[in-house]
Amino acid sequence: MPGVLGPDEVRAVAQAALGLPGADGVEVLLMHEWGGLTRFASSSIHQSTWREDTAVRVRVVKGGRIGVAATNDFAPEGTRGAARNALEMAEVAAPDPFFPGLAPPMPIPERAGFDEATATATPELRAEGVAALVSACARGFEAAGAFETVAMETAVANTEGQFCWTASSQASLTTVVTGGDGGSGFAEVFAAGIGDIDPEAVGRRAAGRARASQKPRDLPPDRYTVVLQPSAVSTPVGFLAWIGFGGRGLIEGRSCLAGKEGLRVAAPAVSVFDDANSPLTLGIPFDFEGVPRQRVDLIRDGVFVGAVYDMRTAKQAGKQSTGHALPAPNPEGPFPLNLFLAPGDATLEDMIASTERGLLVTRFHYSNVVHPVESTLTGMTRDGTFLIEGGEVKQPVKNLRFTQSILEALANTTMVGRDTELASEFFFSASRVPALKVEGFNFTGRSNH
Amino acid sequence: MAMQAVGAAQASGADYADARVVRDDSESLTVRNQEMEGIDRSVSEGVGIRVLVGGYWGFAATARGEEAEIARTAQQAVEIARAAARLPREPVSLTFTEPVTGQWQSPMREDPFDVSLEEKVALLMEATRRMQAVKGLAFAEGSIDLFRRHEWFASSEGSAIEQTIVHSGAGIEATAIAEGEMQRRSFPNSFRGHIAAAGWEHISALGLVEEAGRTATEAVELLSAKECPSEVTVLVLDSGQVELQIHESIGHAIELDRVLGMEEAYAGSSFLTPDDRGKLRYASDLVSVTADATLTGGLGTFGWDDEGVPAQRVPIIVDGVFENFLSSRETAGAIGQTSTGAMRADGWQNLPLIRMTNVSIEPREGTLADLIGDTKDGIYMATNQSWSIDDKRVNFQFGCEIAWRIKDGRLTQMYRNPNYTGTTTEFWRSCDAVGGREDWTLWGTPNCGKGQPGQVARVGHGASPARFRGVQVGVR
Repeated sequence: MPGVLGPDEVRAVAQAALGLPGADGVEVLLMHEWGGLTRFASSSIHQSTWREDTAVRVRVVKGGRIGVAATNDFAPEGTRGAARNALEMAEVAAPDPFFPGLAPPMPIPERAGFDEATATATPELRAEGVAALVSACARGFEAAGAFETVAMETAVANTEGQFCWTASSQASLTTVVTGGDGGSGFAEVFAAGIGDIDPEAVGRRAAGRARASQKPRDLPPDRYTVVLQPSAVSTPVGFLAWIGFGGRGLIEGRSCLAGKEGLRVAAPAVSVFDDANSPLTLGIPFDFEGVPRQRVDLIRDGVFVGAVYDMRTAKQAGKQSTGHALPAPNPEGPFPLNLFLAPGDATLEDMIASTERGLLVTRFHYSNVVHPVESTLTGMTRDGTFLIEGGEVKQPVKNLRFTQSILEALANTTMVGRDTELASEFFFSASRVPALKVEGFNFTGRSNH
Repeated sequence: MAMQAVGAAQASGADYADARVVRDDSESLTVRNQEMEGIDRSVSEGVGIRVLVGGYWGFAATARGEEAEIARTAQQAVEIARAAARLPREPVSLTFTEPVTGQWQSPMREDPFDVSLEEKVALLMEATRRMQAVKGLAFAEGSIDLFRRHEWFASSEGSAIEQTIVHSGAGIEATAIAEGEMQRRSFPNSFRGHIAAAGWEHISALGLVEEAGRTATEAVELLSAKECPSEVTVLVLDSGQVELQIHESIGHAIELDRVLGMEEAYAGSSFLTPDDRGKLRYASDLVSVTADATLTGGLGTFGWDDEGVPAQRVPIIVDGVFENFLSSRETAGAIGQTSTGAMRADGWQNLPLIRMTNVSIEPREGTLADLIGDTKDGIYMATNQSWSIDDKRVNFQFGCEIAWRIKDGRLTQMYRNPNYTGTTTEFWRSCDAVGGREDWTLWGTPNCGKGQPGQVARVGHGASPARFRGVQVGVR
């Protein structure tokens, strides 16, 4: 079995590139990832995989010009070859007027995110977990999903003397249970350690939702009060990472939050921040140019107060990097990968009980941006949408399409849940979010299931 | 190495094994406002080993090429397959395919990797310079993307295949920004342009520099255009938008693994059932759709798929009636068919999945101008901007970059932020005109996501402009 190479071996691989003659500066991003994924459908395992890969990404600077080359050849010669390739690219590039230099030596906080049991999890262990999950499904229901265990080493080294290395792991179990007379139920869990995952509990949760969502009825699209489960809240929060919180979009006026710094953009109960170092998320303590990740308050008590920056956009904006660089080259600019929506004090039951007529939404599917500056998304509900009447969940309804501004929804948020979950989004990394109650959520279409 | 991997898997107990040794090279350049945004190359090499043991699949992959590592990875694949038996199921059986030894290479005239970086940069600099000459433009962006895959496939049934496939593409994008509004125009298509299985000659012929001024001008004009009205109307789509309409509401729906529930928990399933073959009226009788992996220049073109099944031309919808799925050796057998040759993997590190080949609408008659000229009142939309569809591929909503009102056969008022919505079969059944060969383009979709772990495929779609009746536009 593969295992952690460790900082010394990784540093030796990086050194082969750092010594590149003819360059003003060199940065090496190294990643080593291994793990397995057991995928199941119709309550049996149909695709089960394991892989180990390495990645070396070399950024070379010459006269303010930047070139980048990558290889998965983790040997010193492979790294040297990538560096030579990057230098060739740099020599034809135009100088970058905003190039801020490479990261200087900076201390990186310790982050305990590696679990040996997860890094060495066997296919038998994952299969046992899937069997436990499937056992929670009643007769006539089937489970589909994936149980993944991965481990990773990440390191950044540069010619300024910065070197940072960390090892991390992640276990995740996701399932959709279907069957009976239509309807489906969803559940997922993420953890740094496989020991923190209870597959049978995940199965019970999804199976319960599948049973509850049988025989969904048609409901006309309209504006409804919604109670969004955390697995639905992760969609608007995740999209804000892309169209709102990045420093580059703000500088260029493309962000839906451009020009709104210091202004109220959400209800006072809404606070959003990014914090890779929190034990409540799965982050690494430095970004992909070797800068320590900082906690950044983005929306505090409904007011837009800050954004995330890498070194280049920080220079443009006259700020300091917050440690949110993506791997170079990076046309998207800085990106928050560990978002939180701060908890409130309501329970899910409180939210439902206070709703005269509305919808309880389990999650959204395949959402996309309709109007980035207005923060408008469209997408479908999925795996359990329920009509609330008179403060009670009355019956399941068929899936609905929403077309809704995220910022408007956050402004119309009247209750914030006290319990948070690490919840995935189809296109983005998982966010830790509570349930929300939102007034006047705009549904514009419906499906037949 | 591939044969060695197959032998190692058999020695470890595999009943069936195949292996793919893959080297992927790519090069990407992005210029913005005549400044270099990104210039990078990457290479990734490794071997993926797929086995059947007692009717259960296992797959393992490694970037390490040493003999001992390959043997260890093959053993790992076998252990994964044995672990899968923890949950009993009907054993997998593979439909027959003739073992083959062969080579295939995608055609090109000029290897894009041999073209100097200086020439590539100069093309993008000039295109962005011309866009920037248009007053009011915020960002002028140009990009080039090149991919080369060299793959060796071997199976325990005796196949030994070598393929080299090169994809080349480029595009320009103009962005205009005003108070609370951002508008974008792209050429020849959105999301990094037009990618094809071809060489540098494809990029040279795109006309990026020649179209730069018009593209930028339209982006600026959109800032002051009216919002697309909300109404039910006649909708004419350009071929670039028809491409994505096919992709989302036909291409994914006909993947047999989705139909059989194998993708249920992630990207979803399909409204289709195996019984729909030959019965379901999917579209109007003007609509015929073909999945053709033999088309010259398509991103879904190859000699053999990643199970060693030969490239095929498969009728999907014939005169509006649904006929065939995209399938694999495993899934085709489940419905009593043979594989339509649609299994492809993203690199060496992923197992093959059913992916679209070149899923195209067959051309009928007339140009885009003819379609518009034949429309008394309606809306013409061009160039995809966003997409969304439900988990069974029924309810969709698309946004386009630009639209115009059609009045008495002519384009009149320009609209910004156009979008439309509908349900799949109702929409395709409303199609009352499909353009002819003159405006039919074999587009490439370079970013099709599927599977867990996530895979990205480059797939092809030939599309003509088309017209649809009674469509809801202007969703707000």
